[in-house]
Amino acid sequence: MKALGISGSPRRHGNTETLLDAFLDGVEEAGAECEKIILRNLEFSSCKGCNACHKTGVCVIKDDLEDLFDRILDIDILALASPIYSMGVTAELKAFIDRGQFFWARKFILKDLYFNYDHIKRHKGFFISTAGQNWDHVFDGAYPVINAFFNDIGFEYRDNIIANNMDEYKGITGHPTALEDAQKAGARIVQELKKA
Amino acid sequence: MTIKVLAFAGSPRRHGNSETLLDWVLDAMLTENDVEIEKYALTDINIAPCKGCNACEKLNTCVQKDDLVWVEEAIIKADIIILSAPIFCMGICAQAKALIDRAQVFRSRKYVLKLPIVQPERKGKRIGIFLSTAGQDWDHVFDAAIPSVKCLFNVIDVRNKDIRYLMVNNVDEKGAIKAHPGAEKDAVALAGEVLATMREMKGD
Repeated sequence: MKALGISGSPRRHGNTETLLDAFLDGVEEAGAECEKIILRNLEFSSCKGCNACHKTGVCVIKDDLEDLFDRILDIDILALASPIYSMGVTAELKAFIDRGQFFWARKFILKDLYFNYDHIKRHKGFFISTAGQNWDHVFDGAYPVINAFFNDIGFEYRDNIIANNMDEYKGITGHPTALEDAQKAGARIVQELKKA
Repeated sequence: MTIKVLAFAGSPRRHGNSETLLDWVLDAMLTENDVEIEKYALTDINIAPCKGCNACEKLNTCVQKDDLVWVEEAIIKADIIILSAPIFCMGICAQAKALIDRAQVFRSRKYVLKLPIVQPERKGKRIGIFLSTAGQDWDHVFDAAIPSVKCLFNVIDVRNKDIRYLMVNNVDEKGAIKAHPGAEKDAVALAGEVLATMREMKGD
């Protein structure tokens, strides 16, 4: 069983990446293989909106995302992590997601990519996020974007591992439950997939 | 008094649907002789994503010295700020999100350092316009973009009630918007309303 965490934060080892680490720790303890990718360490550009993939199913841009997208469909547990910047995911994570347009094109235009119900049930997607603001609705702008991406790649959007009010808690380590909850959620999903 | 308009075409595609919508607004504005327009395509200038370093909370400036240096000045000077951007994957395209995230320098100025964004006499005299297009025909396709757009306008001292939205769904292929029954008319009407409101704000 393979798990992949993708961190879209420009900051290393900040609140969101620490929360992602806790989730991946839980996944690993429960016996799955874990990998973490830091988007800011990759060289890649944003989608050009050229729509070439609508005809070919392939992106014209050749950069570090090619290899990542090649492997992503084989992942069992995928965690997309991003802090909330200006009420949405970071430009880095959004650039990554926008480049997934070719999955959408293959699924809905070319129809050469299809995921049946069982496949989707066996592929679990998580959104991992933190926000400085204490508003409950601070994550609302991110969910539809994450949902659309998981939908395009045949993953069930299983859950959000989120913590707001980071400014007040002075960071994720000051939060009473978030890290422990993330770790438990990681372990739980592996156990669930093992049973299935 | 001259009305300064600053417009960003946020799409990576030049002269596509969202930029066409923008051009309709700008062309209508250009027919008035008190309007000065600056327009930039984000794909042709260099605004890197925010690094999240929070240095602006102390320095009151961004440590990344790219095109934001002059864009920041232009944003402050403008009376009307227009952002046009397509919806990609249910959110605003990454290029426009990078500009919005870099506006963090204004947020730090306003809320952390408690410094003014514009001179006191210009407060409440700024209008923001968000123009957007989406391929999907869902009515809710713009919902996730709006909070980010509001963030941008808020930190650059455009009041919520002074933000205008013109969002057109169900236009995907390049040029599709030209076949839309109401979009051009709405864009022209919006330009007229915004200029009239701005003249009122300026007391002209």
